[in-house]
Amino acid sequence: MFTANTTLMLVATFLPLLGALVLLLVPKDQRRVFEIGSLLVMIASFLLSAIFWFAYDRTSDAVQWAHAWNWIPAIGVKFSVGMDGISLLLWLLTTFIGPIAIACSFSSITERHKEYYIWMLVLQTAMLGVFITQDMFLFYLFWEVMLVPMYFLIAIWGGPQKLYAAIKLFLYTLAGGVLMLVAILAIYFLQHQATGAYDFSLASFQAMAPIIAQQSKTYQILLALAFFIGFAIKVPMFPFHTWLPDAHVQAPTAGSVILAAILLKMGTYGFVRFLLPILPDATKMLLKPFLILSLIGIIYGALVAMIQKDMKKLVAYSSVSHLGICMLGLFALNPYGIKGGMLQMINHGISTSGLFLAVGVVYERRHTRMIADFGGLSKNMPIYATIFMIMTMSSLGLPLLNGFIGEGVVLMGAFQAFPWAAVVATLGIILGAAYLLWMYQRVMFGSITPVNEKMADLNLREVLYFAPLVVVAFWIGMYPKPVMDVMDAPVKKLVEQITPGFHAAQALAAQQAAAAKVGMQGMAAPAHHEESAPAGHEAAPAGHEAPVHETPAPETHGHGGGH
Amino acid sequence: MSGFAQGLLDALLRDTHLITPQLFLMVVATLMLWPGDLFFNRTEKHRWAPITLVVLAITAMLIGRTPDGEGFSRMFRMDGLTRGFQMLCVLGAAVTVSLSVKLLNSLKQQTVEYYALILFSLAGMLFLCGASDLISVYFSLELMAICIYILVAYLRDRATSVEAGVKYFLLGAFSSGILVYGISLLYGASGGATTNLADLNQALALTPTTSNLLVFSGVLMVLMGMAFKVAAVPFHMWSPDAYEGAPTPITLFMATAPKAAALAAFLRVFGAGLHGVSGDWVMPLSYIAGASMILGNVTAVRQESMKRLLAYSSIAHVGYMLLGVLSGDPKAGAQVVWLYMLIYLVMNTGAFAVVIYLQGKGEGERIEDFRGLGRKHPVLAFAMMIFLLSLAGIPPLAGFFGKFFLFKLAIEQGFVTLTTIALLTSVVGAYYYLGVVAQMYFREPEGEAAPMGASSVFIVSLACALVLVATAFGPWLVDWAAKITWV
Repeated sequence: MFTANTTLMLVATFLPLLGALVLLLVPKDQRRVFEIGSLLVMIASFLLSAIFWFAYDRTSDAVQWAHAWNWIPAIGVKFSVGMDGISLLLWLLTTFIGPIAIACSFSSITERHKEYYIWMLVLQTAMLGVFITQDMFLFYLFWEVMLVPMYFLIAIWGGPQKLYAAIKLFLYTLAGGVLMLVAILAIYFLQHQATGAYDFSLASFQAMAPIIAQQSKTYQILLALAFFIGFAIKVPMFPFHTWLPDAHVQAPTAGSVILAAILLKMGTYGFVRFLLPILPDATKMLLKPFLILSLIGIIYGALVAMIQKDMKKLVAYSSVSHLGICMLGLFALNPYGIKGGMLQMINHGISTSGLFLAVGVVYERRHTRMIADFGGLSKNMPIYATIFMIMTMSSLGLPLLNGFIGEGVVLMGAFQAFPWAAVVATLGIILGAAYLLWMYQRVMFGSITPVNEKMADLNLREVLYFAPLVVVAFWIGMYPKPVMDVMDAPVKKLVEQITPGFHAAQALAAQQAAAAKVGMQGMAAPAHHEESAPAGHEAAPAGHEAPVHETPAPETHGHGGGH
Repeated sequence: MSGFAQGLLDALLRDTHLITPQLFLMVVATLMLWPGDLFFNRTEKHRWAPITLVVLAITAMLIGRTPDGEGFSRMFRMDGLTRGFQMLCVLGAAVTVSLSVKLLNSLKQQTVEYYALILFSLAGMLFLCGASDLISVYFSLELMAICIYILVAYLRDRATSVEAGVKYFLLGAFSSGILVYGISLLYGASGGATTNLADLNQALALTPTTSNLLVFSGVLMVLMGMAFKVAAVPFHMWSPDAYEGAPTPITLFMATAPKAAALAAFLRVFGAGLHGVSGDWVMPLSYIAGASMILGNVTAVRQESMKRLLAYSSIAHVGYMLLGVLSGDPKAGAQVVWLYMLIYLVMNTGAFAVVIYLQGKGEGERIEDFRGLGRKHPVLAFAMMIFLLSLAGIPPLAGFFGKFFLFKLAIEQGFVTLTTIALLTSVVGAYYYLGVVAQMYFREPEGEAAPMGASSVFIVSLACALVLVATAFGPWLVDWAAKITWV
């Protein structure tokens, strides 16, 4: 058997590209070869990547399987790869979604098969590359390369407004990307001034945090804004989200799945990997506006989703809302918040992909996505109705499913840092339950029309590509500890980078609380809760530190279940 | 008296080896006109193309063998900068000649003058790359430009071609006037002592403050004259018309070779001669650069003609390259400008080769003519897509690599706002480049695919391969650029 190492990681990453090059040689009319071939390549890449899940050393916060080859020594660019827990999770999510995205395209893609599967494979390599790179230049490279295949996937195989949607996606992301490039270069030269070295490595950029913190306030804020806009467009956060509904609605099903599951995660990944550790002080200066934008995203996304007539658009706006929750967790800047935000990224990847696939299934059968055209589908499509139900519940955060854990942990983190924000976010989650269940009700129940009655239930292929999503949704929902463990050490390190001495302060606070408890038991003083609760994130979480993973947040889901 | 003449002759003979490539070109071109023209009859004129290519190859070899040095009363310098940009000019001329054959054949416009003019104009460019005196800058510019005026109006039975030539000529003459006036003001300001760039730099540093205005006016006029030659906003008006009207290979020629030579002169005049008074020109030049990026990219969006689109895009690219001229470190500036120009030359050649191919079938003028190319000619469309994405600066293609180095230098030199403008306008650029891609891939084709000429296939595939792999071979490119040294 293989042992996980750098070479294997590169093989898993570049296998899709290699597959694309081989498929390039196959004649155009061999539709089956492209379908099965690309599926096999994706599955092989996934199986190879799965080894890393088992090989990952969960006790270390270091970048594992790291290796760097000199590329352009004159300017300090290295071909530098490696993963820590945060990258590993998203990397695995990408290889996991890959085969599903291919499998759902077999019947929905009816023309230009060769180009389609080749672009899908190229896209896969570009996305995997983003998560393994440890060099800013290389990161920017993969980040932009990814746009080209996505542009073609939407612009050739998309809906009626595909050209508009594709160019909008392209230009928005490119604009954000170039701003990010300016910020990267600015830090690069600051580093040169400070250390005399020309280096693009991520580690050296993160080591710049204290030096950046000494620069003028305006400089820091401008840098942080350049990064923020770059990533916020990708996430997308309000008010940079307008490309998302267009792109989602026009994209073919697989395009939507990849867009929701992976591409949006690159924005959030960018925040975790770059903005927070490199510019912690500037982030704290701008934290209020960032938080408010996240909250607006949560509520606005949910409200707009509520009134949508098109199922795909509804799911697209629900993404805006759900990613607002991710961002809220990240901006809480404490371990719960960031872990919750990370977990919510994975969850959103699972459940929203599921929902897009579900919309794709009825679209293939009826060529409409309007909610009003459906109704009573549960009568003739029982398997479909069950799976749709599971995905809906996973998305709205029903206990036992993945969404519940993610939202719970995010709210815990947010509550510690900014109780008011957690309260507002809870409102968004309630709205989430409302629009999702309302859609489910209108599509699945009620009277059925003769046209809809003829719709066939899921076939074996469709069940097969839904199955992994369902399994993972239940797995994370019931036993999230393995996933949490993977990101434990890196998140701890990240929090320490953001707030040096955070964990020491927490440990101290925990000791004090324990001491106080002992003392108070002696004195039988009952008033200690009032003392610690408003003291902010330094003191309040102290008691919760040990039972991190399995502790749900009961206050949120009491509301959610009510619908 | 005879002693003076003897000394002059000795000096000329001593320095001649510095300009062997130019002398070779001029002698060959003259011989081509007469008696060379008598060798081939009217139907055989196309044979001049391969001969010209051989001449160009020899010229490139001669440039490689010319040693560093300064001569002709310090009017001409041979150094890394000269050699590097001279090579670019020769390369530009070579692709122009190879792409011309088929088009001129189909128009029945093959003449020896066409090729001879390219060679004469190339000689001017080679002088310009090494001109180290305002006087030699001026006469090399004229030698280069006058040949190009004629080439633009080469299709003399076409109104657009003649109009373009006349327009270019009138505006060009006007701008030359401004340039000469600027030169005379600088000459006066320096105390009537010198026009040599290095001496001028020292002399201007010593001018009394009372002549500040004189220096400023002189610098500004030289700047205007030079900006006209590279077609930077607001001195760009001639370029879309000239690009559109000229025979397409000449459009490619104008976009590459003379631009490279003029940029070399730009770098030398402002980096060496006027470096000391940079306070006078940095501000105007940054406005010129910014305006070129914005106007070039924004106007290109609305174009329907492919050649006009490429003309406006070339204005924008000049705007980017001026960032390198602005650099407070002229040496580093010259290196990135050279690198960018090399990459721009390769990707632009590719794009023009595709336009010329389509034009061979009576299309290619309009962006609409690209519709369905992805179906009709998948390989060609793929190559065109690569060129366009590279022009847009999408990594990992060559265009990104050039932009990266340029913007990196600009940020290092503190031009953050200008770099941000450059990057944001390059997003606008992506919009119109992708518009052409959309035509190729998302519109239904009309008509049948025609076969391509062998030389076009060769150039397109070579350029495409270079653009694709450039970033992977980044270290080599950086090493090459490091050879662009000058004092």
